[in-house]
Amino acid sequence: MSKVMTIKEAVAAYIHNDDFVYIGGYICRTPFSAIHEIIRQKKTGLTITRGNAADDFDMMIGAGVVRRFISTFISLGLYGLARCYRRSLEKGIPHKIEVEEYTNLSLPMMLMAGAMGMPFVPVKDLMGTDLLKIKGFLGENKYKLIDSPFDGKPVLLVPALNPDVGIIHVQQADENGNAQIWGIGGDCKYGANASKKVIVSCERIVSREVIGKDPSRTIVPDFKVVAVVEEPFASHPGYTPGFYDIDFGFGYLYKEASGTEEGFQAFLKEWVYDIPDRAAYIQHFIDRFGYAGYKKLQAKFDYGYPVSYEY
Amino acid sequence: MNEHPNDYIKPELMACCGAREIQDGDVVVVGTGFPTMSANIAKHTHAPRAVMLQESGVYDARPRRPALSVGDACLNPGAAMIGGLVDVMGMFLQGGWVDVGFLSGSQVDRYGNINTTCIGPYDHPRSRLPGSGGANPIGTLAKRVLIIVQHNPRRLTARVDFMTTPGYIDGPGAREKWNMPPDTGPHVIVTNKAVLRFDPATKEAYLASYHPGHTIDEIRSFTGWDLQVADDVCETEPPRAEELQVLREVLDPHRMIKIYEGKGYV
Repeated sequence: MSKVMTIKEAVAAYIHNDDFVYIGGYICRTPFSAIHEIIRQKKTGLTITRGNAADDFDMMIGAGVVRRFISTFISLGLYGLARCYRRSLEKGIPHKIEVEEYTNLSLPMMLMAGAMGMPFVPVKDLMGTDLLKIKGFLGENKYKLIDSPFDGKPVLLVPALNPDVGIIHVQQADENGNAQIWGIGGDCKYGANASKKVIVSCERIVSREVIGKDPSRTIVPDFKVVAVVEEPFASHPGYTPGFYDIDFGFGYLYKEASGTEEGFQAFLKEWVYDIPDRAAYIQHFIDRFGYAGYKKLQAKFDYGYPVSYEY
Repeated sequence: MNEHPNDYIKPELMACCGAREIQDGDVVVVGTGFPTMSANIAKHTHAPRAVMLQESGVYDARPRRPALSVGDACLNPGAAMIGGLVDVMGMFLQGGWVDVGFLSGSQVDRYGNINTTCIGPYDHPRSRLPGSGGANPIGTLAKRVLIIVQHNPRRLTARVDFMTTPGYIDGPGAREKWNMPPDTGPHVIVTNKAVLRFDPATKEAYLASYHPGHTIDEIRSFTGWDLQVADDVCETEPPRAEELQVLREVLDPHRMIKIYEGKGYV
């Protein structure tokens, strides 16, 4: 059975209510198309994670699909604090999510441990701070502080994470899901490989032969992948190296809209609920900002030397 | 070359103060804004062999526009190495290779502890902030941590509401007790009024230099604890001509640094 499908089919088939979902991206290659589809399908009770979250996670929290968030950080970057996240934790709108907090060292290490099949991993951060005092839904399993069996000194152990599903956006993949990236990685390699199954969206589907011309770029092998979705412009308003730039103007639009509950709902209606798929999203973007606005985001090309793996 | 033009703005002085803490050959973890400007000023003046990392996974980026986040698209083309968080935060930072880390926060206390989690009680925050991100591990593991913060008693406070990132925690011996690597921790606090350094015995921040136009009394009254003053306290050296030239002509020709004036760094 082919793994190639639409994002609507992939989200319907493989993301269930109450699932634990890893969502890759670091502004770079954010799988926004999948995020919008999760919101459109009104999933509920999700636990979401990744290091350094931004407008993408804020939007899911505001839309009410999230119950729990294993977090390190969330903001709108240049545009300040994450508005929906704040409304959730400060005012319980639409509901108060549960948060478990780590850092940009420990959480990626927990995903790495998950990918490696290790039960836990020692880390050197968190020690001595209030991040040890607060425990969320993981309770006593947030961490274990022990004396090292090697030198007797205090050492912190944090648990491995194995999400039910990982969602990543990549530059290219083949029809079976061998997924290739270039550019800033964040924690997507370990996050995807820690997950029990992986949904890959990509700018382009290429042949197995193309993958084989530069196999060192592959971060997820096809046997972990359950769905492959060809979805150009899927990271907007984030970016995909070699394809399109960050849309800072749209970031401002989101900040302004998400500043109030009404504005946020109007944003969701315009950009998510009333949009059936990514093609319609691109069309709506062009209707709103003109073709020039769309064209302006497209990346220039500057190819390197082709690599040879021949012997 | 040591002329001091007097048309500088306060954020430019702060960026220069940061730059002067960077030594040639340092490996520096930077965010956006002040850290990048400081590291680049250093690189173009006294520390040409200093190198920069972004926690998102980038080493030695060559951006053609100022990066507006550590995940910015402009950090990709031209970098010497790109991996991910585990590479930079794990292999390089936790591996012990990072000399300098730059941090800022909503609150910083006398021991250089930093709060980026919440104002008010954790369970019912008055203001919910972003969280640690890379700050906690950088504060734990970088050899010299440079802290940038606005100088007022709400932000420079005796005790942070929430300790997201460790400075010297509660004083001498605390970092050792928690088995943090030796010779790590806060090195300096740069504010819009002064430069504070840390007493090796008490681990408390003291006034090392006051920026031109500010007085010791004013600075003490704008600090949330009984700020001690160095015996050799002096006026902060204003930006040198060559530092300003790098900042204005090479790094920030559009003077984006002015946005910090609007944020209260005056």
